[in-house]
Amino acid sequence: MAFALPLLLSACEGLPRDPAGTLARVEKNHIFTVGLVAGAYESPAARRLLAEIAKRTRARPQVIHGPQEVLLEHLSQGRADLVIGSFSEASPWETEMAFGPALASQGAGKHAIELKAAMRNGENRWIMLVERASRAVSREASGQ
Amino acid sequence: MTNSLPNELRDTMRAAIRLEYWNLFWTATIVVVMGLVMGQSETMKTAWVEDTLGVVPPIMFLIAARMELTGKRSKRFPFGFERVNGLGFFVAAVALTAVGLLLLYNAATALVAAEHATVGSIVLFGHDLWLGWLMIAAQLYSLVPPMLIGRKELPLAEKLNDKLLHTDALMNKANWLTGAAGLAGIVGLGLGWWWADSVAAAIISIDVISDGVKALRSSTAELVDGSPRALSGPELSGDALALEERLRSEFPSATIRLRETGRLIRAEVHGVHPPCEPRHPRHYWPRGKERAWRLAQVSFVPPDQE
Repeated sequence: MAFALPLLLSACEGLPRDPAGTLARVEKNHIFTVGLVAGAYESPAARRLLAEIAKRTRARPQVIHGPQEVLLEHLSQGRADLVIGSFSEASPWETEMAFGPALASQGAGKHAIELKAAMRNGENRWIMLVERASRAVSREASGQ
Repeated sequence: MTNSLPNELRDTMRAAIRLEYWNLFWTATIVVVMGLVMGQSETMKTAWVEDTLGVVPPIMFLIAARMELTGKRSKRFPFGFERVNGLGFFVAAVALTAVGLLLLYNAATALVAAEHATVGSIVLFGHDLWLGWLMIAAQLYSLVPPMLIGRKELPLAEKLNDKLLHTDALMNKANWLTGAAGLAGIVGLGLGWWWADSVAAAIISIDVISDGVKALRSSTAELVDGSPRALSGPELSGDALALEERLRSEFPSATIRLRETGRLIRAEVHGVHPPCEPRHPRHYWPRGKERAWRLAQVSFVPPDQE
């Protein structure tokens, strides 16, 4: 049992993996590309999130600015690893992208506008890292 | 007035009813557990829909069994409710086939569009945990009840010659196979094989469609007065073939027509006069007496007058 437990834990640590290898690339190249939607960089929560991801991956963020639609298109094409911006819960991108927990929100219910990170669907290890980092830097996110 | 269930089946029927209540209870727990951890995974969605759909046969069985056990023959229903089971079988077969087709469509479109399923993390007891581990645990849990219940249902279905109960036993088998395929799908997704999830879902749905089509062929055959079908598929029933041979040996010039009403067989012997001495239908049963209850009626239609 004592022998099996470390093996089991290491197996648990091995999953999930990213189909496109996002996290492995970020850790190898020590850089990740972040799209910041207008207004997001002024948010202290967004800056804390970027710092936390940088700390966890030992990589530095390369920031690009632009309108939300353009940045999300970059993300879906794999030209950005992350987009941070304010999204409504009814956003048409909700099923196209994986969203992290809300760092901060305005309003309530379906019409709430949430500041959060968007990642490419299916990059599950990278998504988990951003989710963990979001929970670590925001009290609101830690409950999600 | 009496009801339509043969007396020798009453205890077995009651045992089957008890088992189906347990089946519903355990299926409900699986549906809740799987629903809680479903996320965006196609495999999990497909397995969840299949598990949810799994309540249709037991519910139909319980309704039919209640009507067969307690429903009396009346002026409005002179034959009692022996065909309610066949109707339930048809409803279950339609539901099974339709949902199988829908699930296959979903899995195929996800594959063609190269959709990458996201399975993120949740916080559990203060720890971040990959949701995939909970999905795997839920899939493992979902293997156990259908495996045990399906094994108990098969002998009861054979004793009652109940196709609805037999379909449910097959569905339970399909459910635990689904769980096994689902496990492979989630592990594949965890390994970064984005297609594994949809491929597992497609395999599961093909299995559902196959069961549905088999049940549909068998149930429609009964509804249109086709020859009795085997318990496990659309082939002709061994009991019916033996009965036909038995009747033909005594009435070689006759045309024999057999049909099935629920679990019972009715025979028509055309072109001959009935024997002079009165005989109970069970007299003609060709196999062991313990299943002679299956033959409910033997009618004779004399030859046309020249």
